[in-house]
Amino acid sequence: MENISPSTLLMLVPLLPLAGAILTLLFGKALGSRAHLPAIAGIAGAALGSLVLLVGTSLEVGVAAGVHAEPVRPVEMITPLWQWATVENAYTPAADTQAAIPGTPLSATTHEARPFSITVALRLDPLTATMLAIITCVGLLVAIYSIGYMHHDPGYPRFFSLFALFVFSMTMLVAASNFLIVYVFWEAVGACSYLLIGFWFHKPEAARAAKKAFLVNRIGDFGLAVAVFLLWMSYGTLDFHDTLSANGTIVPGILGQTRLADAGGYQLSDAAGFAGGTIGTVICLLLLLAACGKSAQVPLHVWLPDAMEGPTPASALIHAATMVTAGVYLVTRCAPLFVAYPGALVMVSIVGATTAMIAALIATVQNDLKRVLAYSTISQLGYMFASLGTGTLLGFTAAIFHLLTHAFFKALLFLGAGSVMHSMGGVIDMRRFGGLRRVMPITAATFLCGACALAGVAPFAGFFSKDEILATLHSKAWPEAHGNHQQESPAAGHANTEMSRLMPTALISSAGTAPVGSPSGNAASVKDGLNSLNRPDVWRVLFLMSLVTAGLTAFYTFRAVFMTFTGPVCVPEEAGHSVHESPPVMTLPLVLLAAASVVSGWVLWSTDWLAHFLSATPSLTFAAVAQTAVAPVFHLNLAIQGTLAAAIGIVIAAIGHLGRRSDGPQMERFLGPFGTLFANQFWFDQLYSGLIIKPFMLLATLAAIIDRSVIDGLVECVARVPLAIGGLLRQLQSGMLQRYALAGVMGVLLMVLALAWQLRS
Amino acid sequence: MTPLPLLQNALTVGAILFALGLVGILTRRNLIVMFLSAELMLQGISVSLVAWSRFHGDWGGQILVIFVLTVAACEAALALVFVLQAFARTGRLDAAAWQSLRESSLSRVVDQELPSIDTLPQVWPTLSPAGVLPQADENEPLQREHV
Repeated sequence: MENISPSTLLMLVPLLPLAGAILTLLFGKALGSRAHLPAIAGIAGAALGSLVLLVGTSLEVGVAAGVHAEPVRPVEMITPLWQWATVENAYTPAADTQAAIPGTPLSATTHEARPFSITVALRLDPLTATMLAIITCVGLLVAIYSIGYMHHDPGYPRFFSLFALFVFSMTMLVAASNFLIVYVFWEAVGACSYLLIGFWFHKPEAARAAKKAFLVNRIGDFGLAVAVFLLWMSYGTLDFHDTLSANGTIVPGILGQTRLADAGGYQLSDAAGFAGGTIGTVICLLLLLAACGKSAQVPLHVWLPDAMEGPTPASALIHAATMVTAGVYLVTRCAPLFVAYPGALVMVSIVGATTAMIAALIATVQNDLKRVLAYSTISQLGYMFASLGTGTLLGFTAAIFHLLTHAFFKALLFLGAGSVMHSMGGVIDMRRFGGLRRVMPITAATFLCGACALAGVAPFAGFFSKDEILATLHSKAWPEAHGNHQQESPAAGHANTEMSRLMPTALISSAGTAPVGSPSGNAASVKDGLNSLNRPDVWRVLFLMSLVTAGLTAFYTFRAVFMTFTGPVCVPEEAGHSVHESPPVMTLPLVLLAAASVVSGWVLWSTDWLAHFLSATPSLTFAAVAQTAVAPVFHLNLAIQGTLAAAIGIVIAAIGHLGRRSDGPQMERFLGPFGTLFANQFWFDQLYSGLIIKPFMLLATLAAIIDRSVIDGLVECVARVPLAIGGLLRQLQSGMLQRYALAGVMGVLLMVLALAWQLRS
Repeated sequence: MTPLPLLQNALTVGAILFALGLVGILTRRNLIVMFLSAELMLQGISVSLVAWSRFHGDWGGQILVIFVLTVAACEAALALVFVLQAFARTGRLDAAAWQSLRESSLSRVVDQELPSIDTLPQVWPTLSPAGVLPQADENEPLQREHV
């Protein structure tokens, strides 16, 4: 057992859930009420393996050495599994190689035609190890909870099979080391999500929600597909890591160490080993579109609230803790691509902060407990994006830190909501129950832990991760307040304005020559326009939006807590007489997740372990990001601001809802026209319906009419010709033998006459 | 006799046989008679073949005729089976009895209304024991009439 190599372990992590999924699918009916066993065994094995890998990787990275003045040595392990496809000589670099791959140092290889080869390879680095641990551990707890939650359901085996299949797809997504494989599993998690949202497919709302989620995700997937095409065209490989070509030379992977090392300072975006010019910006924006689709960011966020039609455990795992963080993972993984283009980065932040704010505003007037949580998920993912967009090491690690704590507390909140729903006979409208803390003490206590973490109350996990995100944004908005860190990060920071001041002359001149394959004027102006957004005053707005969102988060979270758990006991009639606390199999995961929500933030923040660990990810070791490492200084004024915002939110929620029954759309009325705006989700659905769905329906109707009348008419015309000829010939079929014989004789006579005529002439 | 008049005579006989058969097959509706007429046409052709063969001093035509005879014998056996089956189905040997196979939209061709046989008892011809004078059946002319 102790001889298992890390590569074997890495293969086992996705393989065990896959085996569990297949076994559950095959023998689920036979196992009956024990159908969860193969799936849970597989996920448990994967969780164990992930934890071992996490520990192993972190030992390799080494312990934190205080403020990292120097970039950490990148840690990466590649396990090639098999060759999926090979096309010889698929990529021929342009004659002007420098234009195709600016800054690529290996001139010996760049002129050769390269094969298009897709190797299925798994990678292990700190980012992957962290993601694997989050996915499998939260997945295991949610799976255990599902034993209790789903046990009456006729689709019990199907649920666990899909659940394990999802864990397989997600682990493959974060472990894949090739953009095409990432794309494959990006689609696979989408498919699992579709199947789980539509788990109760006989409910029309569930079927519609599943369809909506799938279709909205297609837009993002389209972005990813085009991004993959462009990456292939620009780099001639799709691998993250460096590979060896047939003649033994190194083919630099897109995020491989050769390219990252060569990019050196990453000082100059267009010449820094990454595809230059418009193409680079477009790739980043397409990747952002993909991330927006999967992570439910504005304007593609509309699917997530509807996805709550699925079973609550699926919502907890897929639509709160893991799958929706795939976008955050993708952006973090592609950090070098984004950092090369400050304009694309600032777009990430703008999208994130806007989403955070909008979703939080909508959440304040929702009455459905699960929908409140869904909007809060969108909002928290927006936080992560806002943090990613800063392009600093602290920004990336803070986003992953928040991803981790959010996975714990949001899974906890969802499972708590599921527990309430389970006990209330399927009712999830907060206006119809109340005072449940007397009925379900464990659920109430754990839910409160999750709510405190989400709201950012001081010792809970969310406080630390949110504080780091706010600090990151603050450092971009008021760089002077954060010492001289910004001065060292020209590319990431104030790109174009300060760059010329700081750059050596040689680099500037190469910047002038670099964009050979360069943009038409129009496209370039788009890029410059994006870059011009990268100004402190923009960041100040984003910071303030995030701060306000923190307050809103606290408000809607505690509004939900007060409405559900405080006040006089009130239970809807659907619950029947036996309102009870959920069984231990459901409360145990709640307690474990609550513990994680309480301690994970403090532990990881105080030891600075996560940030140090993640900084050894190849994508994050390169200079531009590593130079921006900000020591984990506890910004007291920021912490006070964050706490103050949370406190205000909680107090307002307490005034409005503590110990009171609210029957109508009280919140909406209180907010006046804004209430209507929020309650209608800013009319996003109606907007899409009017702008996209209706015209498409019209087009489809038109097409149907044309198809039925014009095209079918033409086809039927063709069919009528033989029918008409046949109608004429049909007259000859009299059924009289003599007539047929006469026709034969006439024919022979005709032939004889013709012959005779011919012979005579 | 010189070969040429022999050929002419034989061809004439063949042509007459063929024409008789042709007229028979076009005018008669009795299946057996039509079949006999077809055989007659066949033999007309056979005569011409033999004549040409003789005229050219080549055995090919005569060999072909031997084959034709063989095939005609087989074909006769088969055709009679079909005729018998057709008779068993309708009780008639009239080819017009099968004109219900015509295209459904066309009207029936009636030159002479056939007597209905539903009213008649089904009496089949029988063979008398060998060596005994056949006894006349009083119903037989009636049966014959519509055969």
